[in-house]
Amino acid sequence: MRKIKIAFLGIIMMFILTACIGNGDSKATKRSAADGKISISIWHNFAGDDLRARKVRNMIANFEEENPTIEVDEQAIPVDGYRQRISTVAAANELPDIFLTYAGSFTDEFYNGELIQPITSLFEENPEWKNSFLEGALEPYKYDGELYSAPIAMSATSFLYYNKDLFTANNLEVPETWAEFVQVIKVFNDKGITPIAMGNKAPWVAQSTTFGAIADRVTGTNWFLDAVEQEDASFTDPIFIDALHRFKELVDNGAYSDGANSMDNTQAEQYFAQGKAAMMINGAWTLSSLGASQSEQVLTNIGVSVVPGIEGGKGSGNTITGGPGGGFLLSSETKGEDKQAALKLIYKLSNADAQKEIAESNSMVMYDVDIDKENVNPLFFEAFNLIREVEFAPVYDLYLTSEAGEAVNNGLQEIMLGGDPEKVAESIQKAQSSN
Amino acid sequence: MQSNLKLKGLLVITLLPALLLYSFFVIIPIFWSSYYGFFEWSGLGDATYIGLQNYIDVMQSPVFWRSLKNNLIIVAASVFGQVPIALALALMLRKSNWFQIFVRSAVFLPMVISTVVVGLIWGYIYDPEIGVINTVLRAVGLESWTKAWLADPSVNMYAVAVPIIWNYIGPYLIIFIAAIQNIPSEMEEAAMIDGASGWKKLIYIILPNMWTTIKVAVVLCISGSLKAFDQVFVMTGGGPAESTEILATYMYNNTFLVYRYGYGSAVSTMIILLSLILIGISQVLMKRKNEGMTIR
Repeated sequence: MRKIKIAFLGIIMMFILTACIGNGDSKATKRSAADGKISISIWHNFAGDDLRARKVRNMIANFEEENPTIEVDEQAIPVDGYRQRISTVAAANELPDIFLTYAGSFTDEFYNGELIQPITSLFEENPEWKNSFLEGALEPYKYDGELYSAPIAMSATSFLYYNKDLFTANNLEVPETWAEFVQVIKVFNDKGITPIAMGNKAPWVAQSTTFGAIADRVTGTNWFLDAVEQEDASFTDPIFIDALHRFKELVDNGAYSDGANSMDNTQAEQYFAQGKAAMMINGAWTLSSLGASQSEQVLTNIGVSVVPGIEGGKGSGNTITGGPGGGFLLSSETKGEDKQAALKLIYKLSNADAQKEIAESNSMVMYDVDIDKENVNPLFFEAFNLIREVEFAPVYDLYLTSEAGEAVNNGLQEIMLGGDPEKVAESIQKAQSSN
Repeated sequence: MQSNLKLKGLLVITLLPALLLYSFFVIIPIFWSSYYGFFEWSGLGDATYIGLQNYIDVMQSPVFWRSLKNNLIIVAASVFGQVPIALALALMLRKSNWFQIFVRSAVFLPMVISTVVVGLIWGYIYDPEIGVINTVLRAVGLESWTKAWLADPSVNMYAVAVPIIWNYIGPYLIIFIAAIQNIPSEMEEAAMIDGASGWKKLIYIILPNMWTTIKVAVVLCISGSLKAFDQVFVMTGGGPAESTEILATYMYNNTFLVYRYGYGSAVSTMIILLSLILIGISQVLMKRKNEGMTIR
């Protein structure tokens, strides 16, 4: 009997021990006190093999070389799983010192959860750097007068890409008005060419790339911002239903292929690049992915424009949905010399040199910088110049609650399957007003 | 008496580690998660206690009921697809010549492929433009039958069920072959002497003797398909417009896309309850059948 008791005790001890080691481990990765180095952790989604990802990873490696006393514990997480990973560690209160965020509700959640701290001091020390950001670039990261991040990207989500050859071969002009747009769609349909390539399997695509731009042209930006706040505007207003009907009009005219809802965005990009579709409305990310995967010849055959304006709409026709993109946040748990080191790294990754490097890897930035035509692909250069002449309109899911964002995403898929815009509007309104 | 006590002690000691691990990683989290179901919580920041509201919302959500219906389609497809096909194959593939071994391995192969890969493969098979199915249909002139298999809500749930059936026939096949091989040969020989062959042998000797195995397979099948997730998530993610949403994807989307951790937890609690109910029902149904058979 005694032996049994001892064995039992032993098992319990083992459990306690393993539990302790488990705890100790997670702390140990945070600080390697042995050699007196400062250790900071950084998580980002530049995990791929594209030019920008490699450049950002290089910058971090350089930072470590320049600062031998600082050790950077870097984790590159693929884009698709990034949000989930960060949310999970945030829920467990184990955020890394520095992590990449997206502008909008994602960052709001960290601010509301008091999980991040301002980096305003960095801007005060470098006024020239601060002033070189494009107008509105810092707005999404401003809470109570304090700045929490510096954007290193621009999210422009609604370029109209078109295949130049297909347009000339069919004697068509790039549409500038809604009527022309619908007409062009009809002509391509008659010729058996898919008018617009879209890969809406992950349902944010239709919302982020197409519907946001259409809706802004119909309702104007102010109405949308009011509706987000639920002040004097509601998503069941006739003006918003009209916007949904415009999208339905595209669907009804056969703008999209049957399988658009089961194709993913990358497939749609390839489909368009192969000349099987005449147009594609897609974000700035397409510039990088096409730039990396297509030949110079294919790229020069692609033109970039904006979504056509809508006559009688309240919004400007010369807008692109988008605005400041991701930037790095500083965890509120990071203090003392760790914080100094972390601030240094954030500056390294978003200063003027970094912004130029990023822009020259075919990615848009919110920073006033001149790029060398030789260093970027022709499609990107065209878009980079276009973006300087347009205004920004809000991207829907960056402003709506995540619930209402999902309601828009699913609602647009419903409309593509023949659903009723009025009902979709109701469910969006219900989701937005429930918070 | 003394040795009996010792034996019991030994049993307790040897079972304890497994039991502890199981309670730490399975039982406690289940209760933990149903407890989260009482909170409005975005995963970040503070959680507010809202009583039964999440559970009421789940019951009132049309999408939840649609997910349940879709999930029952998967359960039905598995129980009436996987089990009979595996049984038929097992009866045909009892012997071990090279051809039968080859077919057995071929049927088992999908089981060892990662389910994500299965989802991707079938995603390509169903692709409306370059997919095998539509290409073949076009080649034989059945252009009108071509469909966007995963995007069209009238067929996509069935389209999604096929890879799941295909994926999991293998293990049932192996279980059934083992069960058939375990039937004592005297019994078969006795039946042959009595003149039973073919169908009669199957119905009176083979099936009754492997009935418990079939029962286990059906329970495994039901619980397995209630937690189906990976293939559907890869192929459609529950879309378009939530038309292929099943319980697990509904839970996942609410928890990790919309950041309603409390609601997601309430959904997972409902999944557990529903699984228990369905398995209970199936047990009762199969028990009756079993008794009927032995009386006869």
